[in-house]
Amino acid sequence: MSRKTMLRLGGALISVLTVGGVVVMLLPYFWMVSSSIKTGIEVFDLPIKWIPDEIQWVNYPNALTKGAFGVYFFNSFVVAFAVMAGNLVFCTLAGYGLAKFRFPHRELCFRLILSTLMLPLEIVLVPTFLVVRELGLVNTYGGLIAPLAVDAFGVFLMRQSIRDIPDSLIEAARMDGCSEFGIFWRIILPNCKPALGALALLAFRDNWDQFLWPFIVATTDDLKTFPLGLAQMEGIDSAAYHEIMALAVLGMIPAAFIFLFFQRAFVRGITLTGLKE
Amino acid sequence: MGREIGAGRTSPSMVRRSASLLRRWGAGGGKSSLHSHLRWAGFFFVLPALIHLVIFKFYPMLQAFRLSFFRYDLMSPPVFTGLENYKLLWENPLFHQSFWVSVKYMFGVSIPEWFFALGLALLLNRRMPGRAVIRLAYFFPIAMSQIVVAMVWKFMYHPFGLVNTILETFGIGRINWLSMEESALPALIAIGIWRGIPLFGVIYLAGLQAIPKEYHEAAIIDGAGVFQRFFYVTIPLLLPTIMFVMVLSLLSAVKVFLNPLVMTEGGPNGTTRVLPYFIYETGFAFFRMGEAAAASMVLFVFLFGLTLIQLRLLRRGGVE
Repeated sequence: MSRKTMLRLGGALISVLTVGGVVVMLLPYFWMVSSSIKTGIEVFDLPIKWIPDEIQWVNYPNALTKGAFGVYFFNSFVVAFAVMAGNLVFCTLAGYGLAKFRFPHRELCFRLILSTLMLPLEIVLVPTFLVVRELGLVNTYGGLIAPLAVDAFGVFLMRQSIRDIPDSLIEAARMDGCSEFGIFWRIILPNCKPALGALALLAFRDNWDQFLWPFIVATTDDLKTFPLGLAQMEGIDSAAYHEIMALAVLGMIPAAFIFLFFQRAFVRGITLTGLKE
Repeated sequence: MGREIGAGRTSPSMVRRSASLLRRWGAGGGKSSLHSHLRWAGFFFVLPALIHLVIFKFYPMLQAFRLSFFRYDLMSPPVFTGLENYKLLWENPLFHQSFWVSVKYMFGVSIPEWFFALGLALLLNRRMPGRAVIRLAYFFPIAMSQIVVAMVWKFMYHPFGLVNTILETFGIGRINWLSMEESALPALIAIGIWRGIPLFGVIYLAGLQAIPKEYHEAAIIDGAGVFQRFFYVTIPLLLPTIMFVMVLSLLSAVKVFLNPLVMTEGGPNGTTRVLPYFIYETGFAFFRMGEAAAASMVLFVFLFGLTLIQLRLLRRGGVE
């Protein structure tokens, strides 16, 4: 075989792999959307009809009445946005401090922060609950949000991306009499937008999604988040696949929307993290 | 590269001056005080995050350690029992089972992730038509909720669900994936891998793109082939990212809780009762907080040891 045919074969193989991968990644979502617009019996029809003859939009309103889903959605938004905001503020500040200053015990601070990656909520579940209980925050929004407001991963992400901002930019601003916070606001933030986008996306996704913590700390229906509501509904009515899928589609929309909204910053953040001097 | 500022020596008077400057956020400030006030500004930027982590990570961790020597049911006051909780765990066959379920899940998910995610990143790093759309398709699932994933896959694993329908076209019979002891954990592992690939792919891709093109160009000039460039340029320069992905994937795999809870309830026969589920069950279903804390400590020691071994191995591999 000549080198050229080998290259061409390799290229074809890569294309097949790429497309196959996309199918594997996205097929479950097509299946979910498709099932959400079928009747409870049609969902098991063979061969699979991806688009049913009659689209059952009625599944959506029907599913929503199977729990206080308005409340659950609202709570999920509150928690996700509050935690996202907390992460954007605290992680970016900390990332800047760690990336561009030298102060006593800086490395120790960084290591301490990183070490909390080894202390996920799952490990400190019981004592975190006890701390929140001591603070009187069980079954409150504060209790839902506070323990999640800083994540070491966010600090790491921001530190790495801020480190790539040239010192010359910062020093020039400092020579021009810009205050430290002014530098943070006018130089650092605009130059790490992509990383901020990525952090926002990840924080939103993780916390729109947050299950374990609300599961522990939200005891009444008015503080439950969407994942709890959906799991609860599924527990009661586990055979109503068409309606569960309808709720899953609705639960997917905010995260999907946020993703598309941040997508450019997200993908660009990946390509742009290395600002050249 | 980046020379850090604020490294100069300071006198006490300069520190005092810097504190007052900091209060005004360093507005103005002569050149002489510049370095000293910068010295502390950095710390103040880090402080809020640090305080948060002390309250919600380090203090609870110490509490977990303390609590593991007490019997506590949330109602009556804690009673000191020494090592009783650890002894109970050691004698509890369910704990041993949980431990091994977690180990299997952790490595079952993360090892394939390391390779598939790197493959994906290499794939997406190539020039190809429609790259933006293809990237979008791969990254989209990152935004998806765990609960949505759990619900969809529970349905997909149904005896008449999509997974069995596809397998049937290959002549494999219908399996009730989630209710058989042999298949429940592999089914959950498959979901974990499917879900982790795009996320770690993004991280790898960022690492790949941070490698300066000049290195590859220089290697090409020196006559290096694709594989040589991969092993002698890409891999060594990507090593910090690889390390990060390895740690992160293990840590995120060991945290799995939602899927076992809503898809299998830890069953059948405890074959999917991972450690976090065990801890939850012991603490919040049986109200044995002390025992749950002791199990948390075991999980922590396990994670800690794993991270240390990993770092040691990578260092010996000649990162320098």
